[in-house]
Amino acid sequence: MKNSISSRMRTLGALALAGTLALTGCAAGAAGPGNGSASEQKYTEEDIQAALKKPTTITYWQWTPGIEKQAKLFQEKYPEITVNVVNVGQGPDEYAKLRTAIKAGKGAPDLAMIEYQFLDSFTVNGSLVDLTAFGAAESKDKYPEWLWSQVDRGKGIYGFPSNAGPMANLYRKDIYDAAGVTTPPATWTEFADAAAKIRETGSYIMTLPGNNAGQTIGYFWQAGAKPFGFDGDKTITVNLDSPEVQKVTDNFQDLLDKGLVDNSNDFTDSWFQGIANGKYASWLTAAWGPVFLDSGTAANTAGSWRVAPLPQWDASKPRSANWGGNGTSIVKGSANPLVAYAFARFLNEDPVSTKMLAFEQSQFPATIAQQEAPDFASNTVPFFGDQEINRVFLDSSAQIDTGFQWLPIMDFVFQSYNETYGKAIADGTNLRAGLTAWQKAIVEYATTQGFTVK
Amino acid sequence: MTSTLNPTRSSSAAKKPAHGNRAVPPRKSAITPRKSGLLTALMVCVAAYFLLPLIWLAFAATKSDTGLFTSFGFAFASDGFKLFDNIASVFAYQDGVFLKWLGNTALYAGVGAIGATLLATAAGYAFAKYEFPGRKALFSVLLGSIMVPLTALAVPTYLLFSGMQLTNTMWAVILPSIISPFGAYLMRVYAADAVDTSLMESARIDGAGELRIFWQIGLRLLAPGIVTVFLFAVVATWNNYFLPLIMLNNGDLFPLTVGLAQWQATSTSGGGGGGGAMFSMVITGSFVSIIPLIFLFLYLQRYWQSGLAAGSVKG
Repeated sequence: MKNSISSRMRTLGALALAGTLALTGCAAGAAGPGNGSASEQKYTEEDIQAALKKPTTITYWQWTPGIEKQAKLFQEKYPEITVNVVNVGQGPDEYAKLRTAIKAGKGAPDLAMIEYQFLDSFTVNGSLVDLTAFGAAESKDKYPEWLWSQVDRGKGIYGFPSNAGPMANLYRKDIYDAAGVTTPPATWTEFADAAAKIRETGSYIMTLPGNNAGQTIGYFWQAGAKPFGFDGDKTITVNLDSPEVQKVTDNFQDLLDKGLVDNSNDFTDSWFQGIANGKYASWLTAAWGPVFLDSGTAANTAGSWRVAPLPQWDASKPRSANWGGNGTSIVKGSANPLVAYAFARFLNEDPVSTKMLAFEQSQFPATIAQQEAPDFASNTVPFFGDQEINRVFLDSSAQIDTGFQWLPIMDFVFQSYNETYGKAIADGTNLRAGLTAWQKAIVEYATTQGFTVK
Repeated sequence: MTSTLNPTRSSSAAKKPAHGNRAVPPRKSAITPRKSGLLTALMVCVAAYFLLPLIWLAFAATKSDTGLFTSFGFAFASDGFKLFDNIASVFAYQDGVFLKWLGNTALYAGVGAIGATLLATAAGYAFAKYEFPGRKALFSVLLGSIMVPLTALAVPTYLLFSGMQLTNTMWAVILPSIISPFGAYLMRVYAADAVDTSLMESARIDGAGELRIFWQIGLRLLAPGIVTVFLFAVVATWNNYFLPLIMLNNGDLFPLTVGLAQWQATSTSGGGGGGGAMFSMVITGSFVSIIPLIFLFLYLQRYWQSGLAAGSVKG
């Protein structure tokens, strides 16, 4: 409804002005890629600036608290534009509503926040606008290569990266010290030794949660595995039985069998308790992890935490992985794709906005400019003993394999993880068997969905 | 909730057993001998079951995030009494969005409950006092609809409202809330006894129309029942989660239930980008959200008791 009103208003405005400029602007807006008519049409920066001068309202679905501030900034810069920031739910909740609205053909927003691993599930049925026509390729060099490859899916560019989750090891220095682990484990072999020493003090080095596929896939990613592949159309690959994945699996099997890592779920009450009371000495997590601890849940342990790189498989060739993060995409059918594009770009690239993302919304920024900004990179955090923790995450980001891909059915992959691999972790049964079951479930599901599995 | 209901039902049952409403189960409790150790123990258990979570909530609302995870549930945390800090941050977060949710909840519950009470009273009164064709069939439908949980109706209701372009508006929450089959059933049981048919007849002889009898005589006699139905309706709408969850997309329209769940989601899922742990705010927010309900109960209980007394004198 909002769309039809605004387009009517635009038509009225154009008639009233009767200026050629306004008329062409209106025509361009009407024939935008939102209507799916002219996919080869290119837009120039002038088109975007012209669109920003017309009264327009756009809607952005997202769940990061406080993005209204950036919307306000944008509105101050472009007084004709109104940005409605709406939180319709987090992650899967939002995707469900988005899919419903897209299917219904009404009620969808102009922009949506989408996690990288779920982008393909929207591009596979053409629900997102390819930003190439707007000149998005120019943004390529503003982001780390691996991060850009998360939105540039070969077939098109489907969003601007907002934040990232390079992984590292958050650990309790006091517990490590008490156990005689003087330096954080540099390799997975050292990790097992450290786990044994820490177990003797009564703590676990960490938990391997059976409810968090994202983290497990991060471990695979770090080992150099490429479990998933998608050609952007109808062909996918599922490689959960590759040597790299098996290497990770066997390592965890060993640690679990010896009782050196816990198998409780994460983000539960007892997990937070375990973090606060020293049950766990480490949390191998992403750059968005620290905020869950230093915002208060573990304030009693402030100062005794540190951040170290992930343990390596081959110390001479350090590798890392990404867990989580999301971007801003434009939903097909948006009546104002030019304005939506301008906002997405502003939100994720404007220096003032990215600084807010980093410091006020506690995200690990996506742009190289913000990542390397001195006040960010050398920001000291008292919770981590005044360590410059962002430097560890930046080094991690630089070691992330750029070729990691996702499947267009990640919802199912995550869900079936809990019933196969994750269940094997939770029940203490054979992980290899869980892995096989997971692979099988994904292949079967993909086939019923009409994908060719190679 | 059940305990507030029992006196109403049992008193009406005791007053006019001749009417023989089969659907008045708690009659037994009225005739049970006063002393029963077993029953007392049972009631203590039930009371503990209902009260312990509330007491836990009251303690938890005074704790910081760390306190929540490092202290015993039924004791204060060692790092200080944080209730007022928590309340301040709940109301300050995101430019006071909590206050907006509180207002929405009050509006939905208020309008929904008034509507539900009016409709239920009129329907119950009609079922109890008028003979009309199809009365039995309609009443069976009413009874049947009590059996269907609101949650099961949420999706069909969504499709209906979507067809009428009413989703994502206040009406999407208010309109379904003003239908209360259980309230109508309750009012029917209550009206059957509370409104004397001979009183209606004498009013008719004095020339009063049916509407006037309902408004001026019926409503007054039904007051205690009305308060009960109103309370039920307020609580049901106040606590409704699933319906607003699927109906509403706009955060400005959320009631407390959906808003608090959103905060909780922020606290318990990593990887989504943004947020962080805000458990103390979720808990304090929940604590604040039940306070109006407690006051409403305490306040309306007076009316409800005085109404009972008035009824017994007139009876």
